[in-house]
Amino acid sequence: MKTGIAITAVFVLLSTGVASAAAEGTADFPQQFIKAQEAYDAGNLTGSLSIYGSMISNGCHNVEVYYNLANACFKNGDLPEAVLNYRRAWYQQPRDPDINANLRFALNAAGAVPPVTNLFERASAVRSMKEWIEAAIAAYLIGILSVILALLIRPAKSVLLKTSLIPGAAMLISLGCLWPWMQLETYPEFVVVRSGATALFGPVEGSTAHYKIPPGAIVRQRDIDSKGWMEIEYDGKTGWIKRDLISRVSP
Amino acid sequence: MKFEIRNLKFLTPIIGSLFLAASAFAADVQLKMEPQLISLMDRAVLKIEFIDTNGDAPAIPDIDGLDIRYQGKSSQTQMINWKTTSKVIHSYIVTPAKTGDFTIGPIECKYKGGKKELTAQLRVIKPDGDKEAQTISDMLFSRIRTDKEKPFVHEPFTLFLSIYAKEGLQLAGNISFRGGIPETGIDGEPEWKMTGQSREVINGTIYNVHRLQGRVETLTAGTFSFSPSIQVNVVVPREKRRSHGFDDAFFGDFFGRQETRPVVLSCNTQEVDVQPIPLERRPPSYTGGIGKFEFEVEVSPTEVKAGEPVTVKMRISGEGNLAQITAPSIQENPDIKLYEVRSVPSESNREIRFEQVVIPRSDNVKEIPAISFSYFNALTADYRTITKGPFPVTVTAAESQGAQVIAVIPTDAENKTKILGRDIVYLKSMPKRWITANGTAWYFSKRFLALLVLPILLLAVVFMATLKRDALEVDVARARRHKAPKAARKNIQQVEHAIRKKDEPAFYEALWKTLTEYFGNRLNLAAGEVSLSAVLSRLPGETKQEAETLTMLFDRIEQMRYGVGEPADHSKQEMKEMLAQTTRILKRCERMKL
Repeated sequence: MKTGIAITAVFVLLSTGVASAAAEGTADFPQQFIKAQEAYDAGNLTGSLSIYGSMISNGCHNVEVYYNLANACFKNGDLPEAVLNYRRAWYQQPRDPDINANLRFALNAAGAVPPVTNLFERASAVRSMKEWIEAAIAAYLIGILSVILALLIRPAKSVLLKTSLIPGAAMLISLGCLWPWMQLETYPEFVVVRSGATALFGPVEGSTAHYKIPPGAIVRQRDIDSKGWMEIEYDGKTGWIKRDLISRVSP
Repeated sequence: MKFEIRNLKFLTPIIGSLFLAASAFAADVQLKMEPQLISLMDRAVLKIEFIDTNGDAPAIPDIDGLDIRYQGKSSQTQMINWKTTSKVIHSYIVTPAKTGDFTIGPIECKYKGGKKELTAQLRVIKPDGDKEAQTISDMLFSRIRTDKEKPFVHEPFTLFLSIYAKEGLQLAGNISFRGGIPETGIDGEPEWKMTGQSREVINGTIYNVHRLQGRVETLTAGTFSFSPSIQVNVVVPREKRRSHGFDDAFFGDFFGRQETRPVVLSCNTQEVDVQPIPLERRPPSYTGGIGKFEFEVEVSPTEVKAGEPVTVKMRISGEGNLAQITAPSIQENPDIKLYEVRSVPSESNREIRFEQVVIPRSDNVKEIPAISFSYFNALTADYRTITKGPFPVTVTAAESQGAQVIAVIPTDAENKTKILGRDIVYLKSMPKRWITANGTAWYFSKRFLALLVLPILLLAVVFMATLKRDALEVDVARARRHKAPKAARKNIQQVEHAIRKKDEPAFYEALWKTLTEYFGNRLNLAAGEVSLSAVLSRLPGETKQEAETLTMLFDRIEQMRYGVGEPADHSKQEMKEMLAQTTRILKRCERMKL
């Protein structure tokens, strides 16, 4: 009983802490958002970009802001920045049809191919990383609760133990689908932000050119070199490019 | 002798260290050019060899007239007279673009233990059979031009590319494009098609000309520069060249008499100034078409009942950016319900088709409104509008006035509907909740991760408790042992109550109950089996003092309970002392293994 009260107290403390922290500094966001939208509608793309950019630098992490910023970048002719922010928005809501449509459109306009993914990665992209984590945690808690109830309620032990297999399987699936997202930490995605990017066969100036990468293309890091080179994968091919030509998608 | 061997054992590490030191001193780096004399059509290999050491491939400075590209790294190990030599070799392919003497370097090569600046020499001479050529571009080059230097956005234009190869030069394999085409603002890369071959005389020299052309369409206005970097493979006789290995991809195969050498051609730059579509006098019915088009509309059936669908089929054909044209719209009318327009596949790539279902709501509808299609004529630089209709239809009143379900049965064509994406989707509306990124996400915070352990701990506690519960249910002796101190504490409370009331019989009764219940539970004895002898028989041998105390307590209680001894009037203090003795002995017994 005491343990239960303690756990509840800790959860309440944590949730109130998070809520109060979230409330700080968000007061101006609605007004800024409206101003940015008005500037966009009036064709003042520079103003719109500036306001959305300021919101993000002030800690705003809403997918709507990333998406709208990407739209403003696209209309302003900055395709790499547009792709970068669409992709950031996509990380949070991979199923959003608007984000997917605009990302495809921007990639197409940039002459870039979408990132190559396998079946497992496509299955993982059905939910965002946060959603998979939440699903895994929920499955974990439900599974533990089922086992505890099975131990305590003898007549229902067998049924409850069998039932706990469902959240167990759900947790394993969630963790499995979380894996490609976690891999983005180890092998992050980058967007080519400058023109003239050419992937070379080796991490040396003057190495044989392998293939050209258009600005706005999404590439995946494979390896890094201490001299400012990065091995990347684009359209199923690997090559080395200078790190100052690309910008990281994930924060 | 034994002494000498022992000494050698001590010497072994020293000798080993000396060998290591000697090998460290042998580290070196060398620069080699193979061969040092080549013709303009030939290539050389520059090698940087790290001997008995390792080092990264150094950057080679740019040299006018030479194209130096890193080929890769290899390593070699040789053992001659028990001496091992290892090499790490970085190779570069050197391709000349003009004749002359070249100095490559100084190149700074860093390796473990030092660095060295090295240079290499290369002489490039004119090729055999062409004593006039000073540069590759004299023999092989390309030219690009366009049919429209000032097209409009989305107006397709053609690029004409000609590859000139001096007579006698033989090209092999495919022509590959290595850039030089704008990467953004173009709707896909141009698809180059070979259109023919001819011969031309330029400044008295005969050239074989390969002609290609590709269609380009821009997505934005502005100046686009086209200067394609084209790579062709030139067939070169190999008799006078040394081989660089059996598998050398750059120098052809060992057994062939000829080999191919890739050459990147020089090309002029074709600027194309793409004009935006004028906003002035743009008709409302303009749907993105640029070129010259025809517009046809067909309506069927023309005799329907109110609530029945009528299909409007639209066909746009001609020259221009058909892929960018969206469907013309039908003017909205309260008497007509308009369904979403669909793009229908067409067999010809010179036309696009749309279909729209309209439903007359009442018999007041006499016609389907006229449909206008406007496009921008790139030749005359003005907008043109083609209007078709109105289309008379006969609508009769629906037979039943009740509820009517109107369903459009999808046809094969409708099933193949394409999603029309001409522009980005509009901005998103304001979020209901603002999310701030405060460093680490909550699910990765240390506090939350620590909390995740709690359910597991809770499960462990419950598991242990249930194990204990199950064990006690099966093992009676253990259950009674577990129950003994609790029962004793309860009985001691009754003893204390009797003391407070100074009720001597109740005191001894409660004290007796305390001892018998405790030992009954503790030793798993039935109520009648608990006796002093039974308890003493289970006490360990070294507990003489405890045995004496117990004997005294049992005797005294029995005397007082059954009146065997002399009647006594015990004070509260005496009773308390007896209780204290009982408590002490029970505590001691609790710590003993009985």
